[in-house]
Amino acid sequence: MRETGAGRWSLALAVLVVLAAFVMPRIVATPQAALAATPRVSSADDPVARGRAIIVTSACGYCHGGDANPASPDWLQGMKTQLNEFKIGPCALKPDAMPCFHTRPRNLTPDNLTGMGRFSERQIFNALRYGLRPEDTPDVEITSSTPGVGNFPEHPHYLAPPMPWPSWRQKPDQDLWAIAAYLKRGLKPVRNKVPDSEGPPDFWASEYTVEKIGPYPVPAFPTANERMPVAQAGSPPK
Amino acid sequence: MRRRLPLLAAAVCLTLPNAAPREQHPGRGRVTRLHTALAQPPVLANMSRLAHTVEVSLTAAPGRLSLVPGTTSEVFAYNGRVPGPTLDVHEGDHVIVHFRNSLPEPTTVHWHGLHIPASADGSPLDPVMPGQQHDYVFDIAPGTAGTYWYHPHPDRRAGYQVAMGLFGAIIVRAEDDPLPASISEKLLILSDNRFRADGSADFPGLHSTQAEVDAENGREGNVLFVNGQLAPSVDIRAGEVQRWRIINASAARIYRLAIPGQELLELGHGPGFFAKPVWTREILLANSQRVELLVRGAGAPGSAVPLQTLPYDRYDPHTRPADWNETHELLSLRISAGAPASSVRIPATLRPVPALDTSHVAEHRVLVLTQGMINGKMMDLARVDFTARLHTTEIWEIENLVGMDHPFHLHGFRFQVLDRDGVPEPFPYWLDTVNVPPHSAVRIVVHFDDFPGKWMYHCHILDHEDMGMMGILQLQ
Repeated sequence: MRETGAGRWSLALAVLVVLAAFVMPRIVATPQAALAATPRVSSADDPVARGRAIIVTSACGYCHGGDANPASPDWLQGMKTQLNEFKIGPCALKPDAMPCFHTRPRNLTPDNLTGMGRFSERQIFNALRYGLRPEDTPDVEITSSTPGVGNFPEHPHYLAPPMPWPSWRQKPDQDLWAIAAYLKRGLKPVRNKVPDSEGPPDFWASEYTVEKIGPYPVPAFPTANERMPVAQAGSPPK
Repeated sequence: MRRRLPLLAAAVCLTLPNAAPREQHPGRGRVTRLHTALAQPPVLANMSRLAHTVEVSLTAAPGRLSLVPGTTSEVFAYNGRVPGPTLDVHEGDHVIVHFRNSLPEPTTVHWHGLHIPASADGSPLDPVMPGQQHDYVFDIAPGTAGTYWYHPHPDRRAGYQVAMGLFGAIIVRAEDDPLPASISEKLLILSDNRFRADGSADFPGLHSTQAEVDAENGREGNVLFVNGQLAPSVDIRAGEVQRWRIINASAARIYRLAIPGQELLELGHGPGFFAKPVWTREILLANSQRVELLVRGAGAPGSAVPLQTLPYDRYDPHTRPADWNETHELLSLRISAGAPASSVRIPATLRPVPALDTSHVAEHRVLVLTQGMINGKMMDLARVDFTARLHTTEIWEIENLVGMDHPFHLHGFRFQVLDRDGVPEPFPYWLDTVNVPPHSAVRIVVHFDDFPGKWMYHCHILDHEDMGMMGILQLQ
């Protein structure tokens, strides 16, 4: 029933506009936040602590709230003001240019109505590994990463840019499960109704093809861009 | 990733090699205002001579009708017309419908909102195959006077068959109707459709952008009908009061009804009267919902006011149509010449609606609505999702987790809304479909007084229902 709309939209340019003006100065201005983010709990075995450490070090809070500080009053609660909204499309450069899409960082706390509370850890895992919006995807184990193959939706609905799931999906399984565990079990629910993001009717399917985002998992090392390190003979000169 | 940007890259610029072309179809945009007088669908002829018995024949068959002036369309029609004839009955009547399926595909007749046995409900569990006949037999429950409708409910084909023309009204009358009999009555069945240039109903190709949009929004038409007519007119004398029964038979469109400058007196929301009439400026009528109201002729003879549907943003933001914020005129209310009508006395109370007793609730259930799913699952006709006991009361919390409205319908049992996002409903009244806006929760209370069997509950955007946004309640 649905079409991918391949080629209809194409992400030709990616530019730092909103964040360059908004987030980056905050990062520069608050270097102590990065230091405070260093996890103090051993995370080797505890998925919640491990998930916390991954979230802190993966910059989730710079879009979803609270920067890298779990003690922030906004921690992962999603967009609070329109300043945190991303404009996607030509309007990011020229205010009235069309089309104009809007990405609004979601409330990641386990609130039932407005956050992750009703989604299973598997649905959160599927969002991180495959980019599949949890509200549009059945709570099942996904058996492929190609649309229409196995039970991967033929017309997938993807998380909106700039959510960097095409990169983070390459994290090991246990890291993604740990993120889900922290969001569901390690966070207190906070009600914050974030208006849904506005994207193209194909839910970004034409942007997240294998041609554009590469394969999962990544190709074996070394690719044409890489080389085997030359074995070091002897010790460096004193 | 072709984009090479830091993780925190923000604004992403899109180039548009070709913006999605907008297909031009007859009727797109403004509808020609014809203002033919609003016609009333005929009433199904009662073949029975027995008291309190209504015996009728209903056939669903393909045909060719002119739906939009100047073209003819292939349709599916009940007894050869769109909308179908009205089933007009009284509380306590014994109803026998001799139904014949002359369609080339299975169908059912679902008596939306009626409190009748599961075997007569016309659910997808009981298809009537092509060429077959089936008798639907049921009694009209006492105390249920109101406005209902009937439509097909076959597995995965309800949206298609309704769009092809299969829908009709049910009026249940009370012997002790609280309104004066002198008030004239109008039935308004609201529907919409989309047509190709040759007049045929326009269904999107399997892999078209429109198919994607319809899957999200539901198939919304750009031609708006009242009783199958385009922008008809209703004549009313100055000071005259008319009783209107309005049915939303659209697959996906939600109507926000208003008559500019007029307050409307709401009598009930489909499956029963309100305890007292309620003044309102506008009425939100979600898919499958009905409303009964009183309108009054106000203005100079020769003047007219429209019945409008105001903009209502029910849409997923990815697929919200560009013209969602337009107001549409559904019909024209014309003040006719002649002496003003003598005044009528509107009763202050209609029928008692006792709040359902929530002191003994057998079960609290949570139903999570996402896109195309309830509680993370798609419909399986072989599965029972909930089991409930007869003669018990349950509270259902219906949570909508997505960015568009989902109207939630429970078959067979009318219910009362307790609260919306924790805000108590101002007074108890009856519904069989409740609209659940984005990221909100509605709690309803329902009493299962009778009729064991399997009952459907689902989103009444027909495309969502057909995709499997439905579950089964087993009552035993």
